[in-house]
Amino acid sequence: MSRLRTLATATWPHPQGPRELPPLPGFSASTFNPLVAAVAELCLTRHRDTNPAGDHPSPPGTTDRTGLLLASAGGDRATALAIESAAAADRRMPPLLFFQSNPNAVLGHIAARWGLTGPVVAISPREAAAPGQIPADALELAALLLADGDADQVLVIAAEQAEQAEQAGDTDHATAVLVTSA
Amino acid sequence: MSTSAPPAVRPVFTGLGVLSAFGSGLAPLAAATVHGRSGVTEVTRFDVSRRGTRRAALLPDPPPLARAVLGVIADACRQAGLPAGPGDTPLLLALHSDLRTREVTEAVAKGVAALGLPGVTRVYTGACVAAATAVADAAALVASGRHPRVLVAAGHLVEPGVFAAFDAGRALARDGELRPFSAGRTGTVLGDAAAAVVIEADTAAGQRGARSLARLAGWGRSGDAHHVCRPRPDGEGVARAARSALARAGVAPAEVGYVNANGTGSPTSDLAETRALREVFGDALDELPVSSSKSVHGHALEASALLELIVTIAALGSERLPVNAGWLGPDPEIGLNLVLEGPHEGRPRYALSLNSAFGGANTALLVAAA
Repeated sequence: MSRLRTLATATWPHPQGPRELPPLPGFSASTFNPLVAAVAELCLTRHRDTNPAGDHPSPPGTTDRTGLLLASAGGDRATALAIESAAAADRRMPPLLFFQSNPNAVLGHIAARWGLTGPVVAISPREAAAPGQIPADALELAALLLADGDADQVLVIAAEQAEQAEQAGDTDHATAVLVTSA
Repeated sequence: MSTSAPPAVRPVFTGLGVLSAFGSGLAPLAAATVHGRSGVTEVTRFDVSRRGTRRAALLPDPPPLARAVLGVIADACRQAGLPAGPGDTPLLLALHSDLRTREVTEAVAKGVAALGLPGVTRVYTGACVAAATAVADAAALVASGRHPRVLVAAGHLVEPGVFAAFDAGRALARDGELRPFSAGRTGTVLGDAAAAVVIEADTAAGQRGARSLARLAGWGRSGDAHHVCRPRPDGEGVARAARSALARAGVAPAEVGYVNANGTGSPTSDLAETRALREVFGDALDELPVSSSKSVHGHALEASALLELIVTIAALGSERLPVNAGWLGPDPEIGLNLVLEGPHEGRPRYALSLNSAFGGANTALLVAAA
């Protein structure tokens, strides 16, 4: 497998920053999507700001072949629970839950905002990554996507939501790494 | 467009397994798609009395999801003639991401041990391109020489939560019929499916005397960079995935003789896909047979791309093209050469299977006849 070169990294919550996730318009009922969006934004902004003339994803309005790969062992538990609860109780299903019923939706938000036209991929590793870590299989897959030619860079995001929704602010964590072929 | 050259090692399909609304195996599914007989029926599996749409393409008495997936994996391995204990063959699995994903994965991992497989290598949860992405990645693993063969499997059984969410999002056809590219189309219809394929290096298959059912000539993946769930209206992302698959195969658009379209029945998505096809195939699109077999077997979400790939392989093998069912009449903005009646004889050398998903994800799989 080809080696990877890291262009930027970010974690959420990050040590010097706020712990509260910025709201993500259009998404509801779960911290998962704001978490993924926040760490992606941090990583891509960091790379843009530190490499003004370098090989970085383009600002909004332009495009490049950066792929998005989201790895989450637990997935969006809060959305899944909200969907199952509404269906089981025969309550009205909030329409917003339709598109956030799969992990691609928030990737679409990131891709549209940053003009990223590479592959959009979501996987569920067997084990959740520890805070600050990316699952080894996600990096393996990023290397495969790069070697296979459909992407020039891949933004790999590992995101895990708290087991208990009421503790989400304390334990949600995500890590993003922008990689390219070494 | 991909800069990739055609791979030196050519991935071929040596085994298929499928479970659909028509039951177990390829024969009933292929018969239904070739004749355009829809498997859509009233939903009685769970209460849909408060839903706007009450129809789906369902198995009458489905097994639990893990058992359904294990069944098609066993069928695919059997057809491929894989020896008991086929070594370190990776298994790439596509499933919906929900509260049971891990439980289903563990059950599949435990079950495949009986086939001598090491377990589930990776689980893809990327909505309606999950299985096609897994196929593309499997092909990359085989073509690059990392593995002589890779198993890809997927499963989706219609259940109350996703059904209600799609209904609330107005994604389901109000009249309960999936009418791809047709005037009066109003949305999609969900369907049950489990599917599996064995993708193998042609050299490895040849060495053990396994028959190639078809060849995966090319594959492509792209993103729209447009919206969380709406497709890019001009279809540029879909076109890019298709061109990537063609370039990788070294195949000209004019050599493609059939397209199994994504064709969800969504007014906007079908139009965007049409524009993508026009962009890729130009004037040749007027003569190119196109259909969406979703109109027959429903939309199986994470399993849809693998189900449609198997339908496409069957079409190449039988030389009869799937029918685009549910047709009410032409949409003046579409203008495709749709396969509207069957059996429709056709001998394409190459067929293209397209899929798109939320997040603007697109995939294209180019299949060559054996």
